[in-house]
Formats: sequence, C-alpha cells, structure tokens
Amino acid sequence: MSKLLKASPRLARRHPWQERLAEDWRVFRSSLLGKIGMALLLLFGLMAAGSYIPPLLDPMYHPMTGVDPLVLKSTPPSARHWLGTDFMGRDIFSQLLAGARVAFMVGVSAAFMAVVLGTAVGMTAGYMGRLTETILMRLADMIMVMPTLLIILLLAALFGKLNIWTIVLMIALFRWPGVSRVIRAQTLSLKQRPFIDAARVAGASHFRIIFRHIMPNVLPLAFLYMTFRVTAAIVIEAGLAFLGFGDPGTVSWGMMLQWVWKTGHMFTAPYWLLPPGICISLITLSFYMLGRAMDEVLDPRLREEGQRE
Amino acid sequence: MPPQPAPINVPDPILVLDRVSRIYFTKGNIFGRGAQRVVALNQLSLSIGRGEVFGLVGESGSGKTTAGRLIVRLEEPDEGSILLEGGDITHLKGRQMQDYRRRVQMVFQDPYQSLNPQVSIADSVAEPLITNRIGDPRDHLRRVLEVLDTVGLSPAEDFVYRFPHQLSGGQRQRVAIARAIVVQPGLLVADEPTSMLDASYSAQIFDILLGVRGQMGATIIFITHSLAAARYLCDRIAVIYHGHLMEIGPAAQVIANPKHPYTQALIDATPKFGRCEAVPVYGTLLSAPREASGLAGCPFFPRCRRAERLLCSRSYPDWHPAGPEQAALCHFAQPDHGDGEPAPGEACRLGGG
Repeated sequence: MSKLLKASPRLARRHPWQERLAEDWRVFRSSLLGKIGMALLLLFGLMAAGSYIPPLLDPMYHPMTGVDPLVLKSTPPSARHWLGTDFMGRDIFSQLLAGARVAFMVGVSAAFMAVVLGTAVGMTAGYMGRLTETILMRLADMIMVMPTLLIILLLAALFGKLNIWTIVLMIALFRWPGVSRVIRAQTLSLKQRPFIDAARVAGASHFRIIFRHIMPNVLPLAFLYMTFRVTAAIVIEAGLAFLGFGDPGTVSWGMMLQWVWKTGHMFTAPYWLLPPGICISLITLSFYMLGRAMDEVLDPRLREEGQRE
Repeated sequence: MPPQPAPINVPDPILVLDRVSRIYFTKGNIFGRGAQRVVALNQLSLSIGRGEVFGLVGESGSGKTTAGRLIVRLEEPDEGSILLEGGDITHLKGRQMQDYRRRVQMVFQDPYQSLNPQVSIADSVAEPLITNRIGDPRDHLRRVLEVLDTVGLSPAEDFVYRFPHQLSGGQRQRVAIARAIVVQPGLLVADEPTSMLDASYSAQIFDILLGVRGQMGATIIFITHSLAAARYLCDRIAVIYHGHLMEIGPAAQVIANPKHPYTQALIDATPKFGRCEAVPVYGTLLSAPREASGLAGCPFFPRCRRAERLLCSRSYPDWHPAGPEQAALCHFAQPDHGDGEPAPGEACRLGGG
C-alpha cells in the first residue's frame, strides 16, 4: 500500500490483487490436483509443527540424541515406538516428524532465495536488454546446464561436511536460472505495454519502472515457480544426505535413508526404510500438484470449460 | 532534393521540429541479410505556436504517432533536432531530461493499456508529482483531487482509490489526461485519445482538452486519423503521409479547401451523411496503387490519380503556398492551377450511393 492510500483509510478499497486473489482461490479450489496437494501439504505442515512435541514428552524421543535405554538396536513398530527404532534405539516416528520440518525449511528457503535471485536477474535482463541481457542470460544458461548435485558433491568432498544452510544457499545459487528465463520473457512482454511508456513520460526512473510497474505484474509467476523450485530443493537435499554429504547435525529424510543404508538395514527393516522414502515422494508430489494447480490459475488456457464465467 | 521546411512563419514557436527523421530497421537473419529499412519520418519540419491546438493528421502508418513519441522523447530521432522554447532537447540526458518530463506530457491512445492495472488512480495520477519531486508528498492527494475535478471525474473522492478495471474507458482516458496535466506541462501530446472510445465520449474528451488549453494555457499536439476530430479541435493541422509532411494550414481552411491530393483523398474517405449532392468528391486516390518509381519522386506518386509520370515520379515537389498560412507539397498545388477542383455530388456512401 502506498503512502497516499494510508493517508485516508476511509477511502481505501480492495486492491486488485486482493480481488484477484479471491478469484484465483475460487479457480484453485475447483482443481482436484490443487486440493490433493493442499491436503498433503497440510499433513506435512502438521508433522513439521508436531515435531516439537515428542522430545518434550520424553528425552528418548529426541530425534538426534534421544536413545531408548531399553532398546539399543533397530526394532519394529510398537506402542512405545510407533514406527520402531533405528540402529541405536532412536525413535523413527520423531525422526520422521523432524524430517518434515527440515524438508520445509530447506525447500522453502532454497526456493525463496532462488526465486528472488532469478526474478531480479530476469527483470533486469528483460528490461535492460542489449549487452546486460546477453551477459546475464548466457550466465544463466551456463549455470542451468551444470549438474547441481554433482557440483555440490564435489564441493562437499572438497570442504568436508556442509552445514544445512550452506546446502540451501548452494541449491539456490544453482537453481535460479530457470526462474530468470521465465521472468525475463514475461518482462519482455510487459515492457511493450503502453503503461510502461506512460510511466516513462511521467518521469519514472528505470528503478521505479522495474519495481513499481513491472514487479507487481511478474510476482504471481515468480510464486508459481517457487513451488516447483521447492520440489527440486527437497530432492537435491535428500540426495546429498543419502550419499553421505548432508549436514550431520540435522535429521532429514535423506539422512534417515542414509542411516538405513549404512547400517545394513536396507532389506531387513522396511518400517525404517519406507516412511522417509514415501514422505520424500509425497512432499515433492504435493508441491508439484500445488504448482500445477497454480499454473491453471495463472494461465486461463489451462482452465477447464465452465470454470470461468 | 530533400524536403524543405514548409514556408509557414510561426512567430513564437514553443516547439520546433527541424528536419527530424526516424528510421527503423527490421531484423534480418544472423548476418543482417534481409534487414529492411523503414522510414517512419522523413525530414519532418514543423513549428508549433504557443497555446495552439495543432493537429497531426494521417492514415495508419503515416508516422504521426512516431512524431508524437519523438516529441515526448520516448524515442530519439535519427536525424534532425527538436527544440522546445528554443532549447535543443533532441538528446537530453539525466537531470535535464527529468526537467523536460515535467514540461511535456502525453495522453496515450488506449486507456485500457496506458494505466498500470496494479496501481490505484490516486497513485497513477500522483506519479508525475512523485517522480518530479513536485510539492510536499502530503499535498499530492489534494493536487490529485483537483485535477480529477478538472477532467470531470467528480466527486473526485469516489475515484481516487479505485483501480483502472473499475472504470469505464472514458473515465480511464480522463484519468490519463489528469495524470498528464497534474504537473502543468506547457506542451501536451494527445495521441488519438478517443480512437478506442465510444463516439459519445469523444466530444467530452475534446472539450476537456480544450478546457486544459484554456485554463493552463497549454499547447496541445493532437494526433488523429480523423479529419472531423481535427476540424473540431485544432487551430492548425499538418497532414502527414509515409513520414512526409504533405500539407499544412489552418484546420478549417485546409479541410474546406484542401490543396494536396492526399488531403483531398482523406476528405473523400470521411463518411458523409445528409444531402450528398452538396458534398464535393475529389477522387484523387487510385483504387489500385501503381508501382513506386524508386526515384526521388513525390511520396504520394504511387497512389495519386492526378500524378504525371514524368514529373511526379522523378522530382520531389516544392512547397506551394495556398491561401493564408496554408501550403501544400505538390507539383499541382499552385493557386492558379486549374486542377484539384472537386466534382460535385455522388458523395453518398449510405443508401448504396
């Protein structure tokens, strides 16, 4: 909201993005994919939020350090440990909950950084054009074709164990080019719209045109791409952790899988192997479905007949 | 021979275009092959007097919009220079450009496209004040309400916090005008401000523009394809064809007594109603254009019925004065030349005439 609008709240009306949000929400709700994705995400959200509870009940439910003094090996599910215990007697269910928290943290923050960077680069390239555009887009191309996992693996091998935030940062640094391509295309088309010319005649600086006139119009697209980036970030983190290059101080689902593998329980403890595997698949699926539903909201051509009057 | 400026003397010009050219290049293949040169404006020279409403008239693609974009410096000319109040503004940069922005404003053709859908009316109209740092930010709202009243959006309080999609086309164009006049520019370029609106709105928009001229003493450059609109609004008009100035003069006089075949063709093309036998028909437009000579002849030669091949395809015409302050760029525009008299009657386009 601008200063002017604040000056007189009596006159304030609903901003177009508010109206648009209401309309978009209507379209979103009518999409089955969106509903399933939303429900799954809600479930994972509950898991992440609930991850704080078990350690409070009993220290042995702490996902990292809590060892059940009565069991010092992997045991199948029981009333005491709903999903069983791992090789040293830690509770798998509380690990699974903690994993959800880490997945959200990694996925959302890496995606957010990637989208912020990609949007900034894309808008700059699209708006400036010429040499700036060429340089930025060639850089994006170069980074886009790099195998993210492999490069992070190499870096991990070089520098030893990586902190979870370092991993997040690296995922973001390798995952912005796709976003910037899309945002650049959108910016190119917006740049041709007469209201940009009108802003220039009104005396708006490049900075003002980019942030006041172009950005509000590309943000929906940026948010859409964020949901897809979340998926990618979670998968990369899980892959890294499974290969043994995760943050050893964090209990992520990839980490759990690595423990299963390293301690030789791969084919003997399905109660341990399956939950993190299924969770990784489902959370990426739910973000993907969310993205598809948002895609439908943003691109009217994808909507089914009769969804819009 | 390159075009000469029209021999019209404007005593106190606010804006002078001196042999301004704008050339676009289409992109060829990777080696630049097949690139085409499109001349949007060819050495256009104009002087616009202080406080007048000056019409730029021409068909689509005639370069009239390009001229407007050059004047507000959305584009820079490739040749020639533009002078505002005697100062060269052709290649202004930075601070001086910013200063120019508050002296020259523009109303765009399509009000559905020229307002950012995400920005409220208040913020849209206040934008020139903010970017030009005019007045205290607390005064902006008051100023916005004032200009909204000026353009007939009242009560202005009802409009300031709306968004473009909540307004009709006519209301949006009023907002666009308010935004252009909020900084009290000396020169206002209106690029076909009514072509996207219902006819009933057009007259209102014209009257607002005339009111702006009356209240603020602004000079208005009115770009249009409609001679009727130009006749209603303009003091003087210039007729442009393919980037060449063809005829210039007082609006009423040029329309009542056009000397250039192209102007005459434009008048023929205006829909007519009522007693058709009283309306003259010039019939100067060839129904099938002939091939251009490729020589430096008259630009209108390919479509001119009156053209003589030997003369018109080879030599660029001179300016011929025709009446007070009127001149036409045509070999046959001498006042004593017999041609160019309209044939009476047969002008009806309605009723199968």
